[in-house]
Parts: sequence; C-alpha cells; structure tokens
Amino acid sequence: MTSSEKKDVTRIAISHVFLIALLALVLVPYIMVISASLRRGNFAPSGFLPDRVSLEHWKYVLGIPYQEVVNSATGETRVVKAETPPLLWLWNSIRVSVTASIGIILLSATAAYAFARLHFKFRSLTLGALLILQMFPMVLALVAIYVILDFTGQYVHWLGLNTKTGLIMVYLGGISGYIWMIKGYFDTIPASMEESARIDGASQFETFVQILLPISLPIFAVVFILSFIGFMSEYPVASIVLQARSNWTLAVGANSFLPEHQQLWGRFSALAVLSGLPITVMFLLCQKYIVGGLTSGGVKE
Amino acid sequence: MSQLIARLQIRHVLVALLAIPSFYLTFLLYRSGNVWIALALLVLTCLGVFIYLNPSASTFRYLFPGLVGFGIFVIFPLAYTVYIGFTKYSSQNLLDFERSAALLRNETFPNPNAASYKFKLYAQEDGTYLLYLEDEKDPGRRFASETFELTPGVKPKTPPEPVKLNALPQGDQVEGTPLGMVQINRGKLLIPMRARQFLLPDETLVAMAGLTNFGSRERLWTPNSDGSFTNKKDGTIIRPNFKLGFFVNDKGETVGVGFRTFSGFDNYLRIISDPRIQGPFFRIFIWTLVFSGLSVLLTFAVGMLLSVLLEQKDLHFRQAYRMLFILPYAVPALLSILILKGLFNQEFGAVNTLLRGIFGFAPEWNTNPWGARAMILLVNIWLGYPYMMLICTGMLQSIPSGIYEASAIDGSNKIRDFTDLTLPLVLPPMIPILISAFAFNFNNFNLIYLLTGGGPQMVGGSAGETDLLVTYTYSIAFLDAGTNYGLASAIATLLFILVGSLAWINLRVTGKKVKI
Repeated sequence: MTSSEKKDVTRIAISHVFLIALLALVLVPYIMVISASLRRGNFAPSGFLPDRVSLEHWKYVLGIPYQEVVNSATGETRVVKAETPPLLWLWNSIRVSVTASIGIILLSATAAYAFARLHFKFRSLTLGALLILQMFPMVLALVAIYVILDFTGQYVHWLGLNTKTGLIMVYLGGISGYIWMIKGYFDTIPASMEESARIDGASQFETFVQILLPISLPIFAVVFILSFIGFMSEYPVASIVLQARSNWTLAVGANSFLPEHQQLWGRFSALAVLSGLPITVMFLLCQKYIVGGLTSGGVKE
Repeated sequence: MSQLIARLQIRHVLVALLAIPSFYLTFLLYRSGNVWIALALLVLTCLGVFIYLNPSASTFRYLFPGLVGFGIFVIFPLAYTVYIGFTKYSSQNLLDFERSAALLRNETFPNPNAASYKFKLYAQEDGTYLLYLEDEKDPGRRFASETFELTPGVKPKTPPEPVKLNALPQGDQVEGTPLGMVQINRGKLLIPMRARQFLLPDETLVAMAGLTNFGSRERLWTPNSDGSFTNKKDGTIIRPNFKLGFFVNDKGETVGVGFRTFSGFDNYLRIISDPRIQGPFFRIFIWTLVFSGLSVLLTFAVGMLLSVLLEQKDLHFRQAYRMLFILPYAVPALLSILILKGLFNQEFGAVNTLLRGIFGFAPEWNTNPWGARAMILLVNIWLGYPYMMLICTGMLQSIPSGIYEASAIDGSNKIRDFTDLTLPLVLPPMIPILISAFAFNFNNFNLIYLLTGGGPQMVGGSAGETDLLVTYTYSIAFLDAGTNYGLASAIATLLFILVGSLAWINLRVTGKKVKI
C-alpha cells in the first residue's frame, strides 16, 4: 500500500465516523417522537424505547374511542374519544394545500409563460417588483387580510373568515417566487420548437399547452411539492383565518396540543408521525427533481 | 375553421360564466353602499372581459389571473399596512370616527316617567332572535323588532347598533318560538340582552329596565351643529380631538370610546424617541441581524461540509447518506420545530437528560437569554443545512473534474483543493442564495414563534430576549394587552423597506448573471 492510498483509507474512515455521528443527531429526534407516540401518558419525547407501550395516542388521533384509567386505586376507567378527530385536521390541511398548490401552478405557469416568451412593456420591472413586494412578511399583513376576508364573507359566504376557500385564496397570493422558478426553467428550453409550431399554424395558446407545458412537468412537480410542504407548515395565517376546531389545519391543531401548560406530547407525537410520514416519503421520492428545480430557479451560470 | 369557432365559443362561455357573477357582486356591493369597492370590481371585471375577448390583449391573458390575485392578497395588504402605520389605531382607538360618534348619540339614561313595556323574546329557526314589546298601559301599542343576534353569556366589547322596532298591527302574530324566562336565563341570553338597545318608530330608545320589562331611555348627548355634543344632565360640552382620537370635555378629560385618526409620522417618531419602544427595538434589531447572519453562515458551513464529504467518489453508501441527511428538509418544518422544542425542554427534555447524565450540566434553554439564543441557532442549523447541502451539491457537480486532476499533478492536497479551487468557484453563484436565505431568516416568524414565543421576557419590558423584529411586531399588534395596530404597522413598513432593499440588491447581483 502506498502512502497516498493509506491516506485515502484514513480519509474515508474519518468521513464515515463523522457522517454517522452527525446522522445520529439528525435521526434521534425522529426516533424519539415515534417512541413518544407509543408511550403511555403525555411526556416530552426522550428515550428510545417506550417502557409502557400503549396505542392510546394513536387511537385518539385516529378518532377511535379507548379506555383510560382515571383512578388507579379503584381501577375506575372512562372512555376517551376525540371530539374532533385530529385526523380531520390532516385531511383539511391536505385539501387546502393540494388545492392551493394546483392553483399556484396554474397562476404562476401562465404568468411565467408571459414573462419568459412574450414581450410587453415594463416586463422586467414587473418581474422585479413581484419579487420585492413578496418580501413583505404575510404575518404582518394579517390585519389587512382579516379585513379583506371579513368583508368578502359578508357577500360571498364561502370566501369569508373561517372558511377553507378563504384561506386558499390568501395562499394563492404567494406566487411570485414560483413565477421566478418556472420562468427560470422556461428560459432553459429553446423557443425554436414553439416557433416552428407557430409557423405550422398552431395558436399561441396551443403551443403553450401542447408543447411547453408537457416538457415542463418536472418543474411543476417541484413547485407542487415545495408549495405543498410550505402550506402544510403555514401557521400564523391559518390560525387567524380558521377559528372553528373542525376547520383547523394540521399546523393549527398540532400546535394546540402544546400550550404553555399541560403539553400533550403523546398526542402531538402520534399526530406528527401520522402526518409527517407520507409527506416525507413523497418528498424523498421526488428528491431528484427538487434538487434540479432549486438550482435552476435562482441561479444561472 | 369550424374547430376555431367551437373553441372561440367555449372561451366566450367561460368569460360569461365568470363575468356574470362578478357583475352581480358589483351590483350587491353598490346596493349596500360600498360604492368605491363596487367601482373597483367593475373596472376589474371589464378589464378581464376586454383582455379575454380582444385579440390585441392576448399577452395579458396569461398575466391577468396571477396579477389580480397578487394585487388583492399581497399588494393591497401591504398598502393597507403602510397606511395604518400613519394612523392612530389601537385597542383604545379602535372604531372609525362615525361609529364612535354614533355610540355617543346612542348613549342613554333611564327615563322613569316614560312608558314601560312587557317583552317576549322569540327564537328564530336560523339562530337569530326577535323581540316583541307591548306597552303596559296601552296594550294596543305593540312592536316587533327586526331579527338580531345574541352571543350567549358575552357582553359585546363595544355596544352594538340599536335594533329597529316596527309597530305590529292588531291581530298579527310574531314568528318563531317564544322563550320563557327560564329558557332565557339558562341560555345565558340575559347578559347580551342587557347590552342591547332598541329603537322605537318614534326614534326613542328602549332597553331592559328590569328582569321582566323594558323601559324607554333618554339620550345623554345632544349633537350640536359644530360637531360637539352637549350633556343633557349637567350641560358639559365635548368636542372631538383628532390629535388624541377621543372626544374631550372642557377640562381636557376624554369621554366615550376613542376613534381612529390620522397621525402622520407619530408612530415612526415613537420608535425613535419613546424609550419603552426604542430600547427593545434596537436590541431586537441587533439580535435579528446576528441571528440571520449566523444562521446563514452556519447552515452554509454545515451544508458545504456535508456536500463535499458526500462528493468523495470512493465513499460507500453515498446515496443512503444523502437520503437521510435531507430528512429535516423533507419533514414539515412546523413538526420538526415543535419536536425539537420538546427535546430542548429544560427540565424533562432529552437533551438535558443526556447532558446531565454525561457531563452533569444542564443548560437553561428556556429561562436564560443566551441559552435560548443558542438553542434557536442550533435548531435553525438543524432545519436549514439540508437546503444548503442540496444547493452546494448541485454546484459541486457542475465543476468540471478536470481542474482537480490538474491540481493533483501540481501536488495539491484535498484541503488546498477546497480552499483554492472549490470555494472560489462556488461562492460567487452562492451569493444571491445566501442573501435570500438571510432575508428569509430575518423574517423567520415560525421558528421563533413556535420555539420560544420570543421568551424569556426582557427585564422590565414587554419584548422577549429572543424576539425577532417580525415576532416583536406581531406581539405589539396582536398579543399585548394594548394591541397597537398603528405602531405595529409602522415597524412592519420599516421591516419591509429593509428586506425589500435586500431583495433589490439581490436582484442587482443576480441580474448580472440572469438576463431578466
């Protein structure tokens, strides 16, 4: 073995040790949450194996009634069942996030097409303004958002406060980042194909729908996933707009398990695992596209 | 050709389907007195119809829906917030002037000489209520109110508008189910009922005088032509003071409920001059800068390190490592933040259990300001490094491997390769990403709000030691005892100018590389 080969072996060995140590820091919290969701009682996550395994939190989250011991001396029990099954919050969240993400794709893809392919006055100015105006944090515009929804609700009931459609409408405003991302992708596609289709007699709209959209599917997948995950995690706007417990999204519901006093970690953990798992798997499956999308949107070399 | 006509017709139908409800809504808005909003909607609808029917506007067909949504839910809230920043608008000055004056006009005192009425409350099918009154001396004088709402057990914060009573002709019946006293009491309806006033056709106000009857009341304030009011009982005069946002009497005391008023740069001056605001404001500003800067620097360092390690071609399990290291980005951030909040719990959390077990030392993550700040940074690195890792990996892979081979011939080593070749190649295109990461963290509301809520509290102040400007502003607007929308909006405007200019600089930097 030459000295440089020896150096390679130690380099690889050190890398593995370092990576595994870091990986432990990343994975341990998740393992602890899974274990906390299976442990009887509502304790903050700690330790790997639940000492007293119980499915009570899972039953609660899924809306299945279960027996709970009220008095351990007498063995008295009572039946516990969630009034609003937390599973409903996940379902609300999925409905809101999927609808809003599809809307985001429709709105930002059409706008990005105009910015990438068509010529009009103030094009680059509008594009820059979109980006800068979006920097205003939505949290601080909550007073105005509240006023808008309160007002629309008086005329169109399903667009008012405490409606999921109202929340979706608010989310649809956040398109500018995605317009930039999709425009960046459109810019990498040569316009020659569309031009020859135009010469063959296709209309502008036809070339957009039949040529540009199909080859841009990967970027739409990225936009969908990123916006979906963003909306699933969105807390402040949802907590102000949605007031009824049955209308809550996952974010609002999950946080409601953890007030300052009496934090229900067991229930929270079960809900976190149940809702986090599908999203995580979806993300990992599409990872390759997402990496491409992240790097194609902002930066061009 | 026939195909073309068919498609054109579909478009016409679609435009009509969207335009007709929109015109109807315009009509509704106009009828209810919102003339300006109706006009805006009318202009918007006509613009939409024009764009989708006129071939010369075809470019804007792609932009219209997106820009309208952006206008309503981003630009309007922004403009409205900037506007509120120039007004006095808080829990003390909540109502508009008209409403505040109307409250004074409706303020009454009982008039013992006037008529007394028997009443009955009728529950309606849609959950609203209706009041029936009958003069105790003259049973022919009967009145039925319009329907109104009552929130059980709640006395409204500001007195609601009086409900109109209409004369009930002889023989007419009142709709709904009559409620007995027991039902009213059990339904906790007495509390909201007492706060209500009703308006007889002759403009006298009546309200509950006892448990079983209503009595007419006399208005306390008589409006004068110059906008002032005279007190009927003691003759004092009050005038609106638009500087204070209150009605003020001759002694300078405020009377009634405050109203919103234009205040110019008062809120901005307060940020600079009021020591209660100014002190925490600058501390929070510095911490916000430090937090964003360190977050970007540290996540970038960890992400870069990982991506370089995982780019070693002779390393086994690279794909598996990559997959697992991405997890914090793949799990919804909200869940991760709350999970880590549990782990960092000072007394029962896993982190301190472990540290106590090994080192016999447990940092105060929740009560010590520095402990809380350290926790926030650790959590943010944990959440943010995967994004940097993904970006850095993409960049590393775009570097041609030839340059490393060339430097290997020159006798370089891995570390020199990294500092002399990789970093100079990767850093310039990273700058816009680092700037936007900085801007993102500058307004990272979710992290602070969910993890510490801004706590621990600053000594002798309403702000928290870990508050960012955005969470501090949020607590001024929504959480504090004296919610102050005006001041919060002024700070929000400053924040926007700061972050907006960052975005603008970013645009300039990127603009050199991307042709907009």
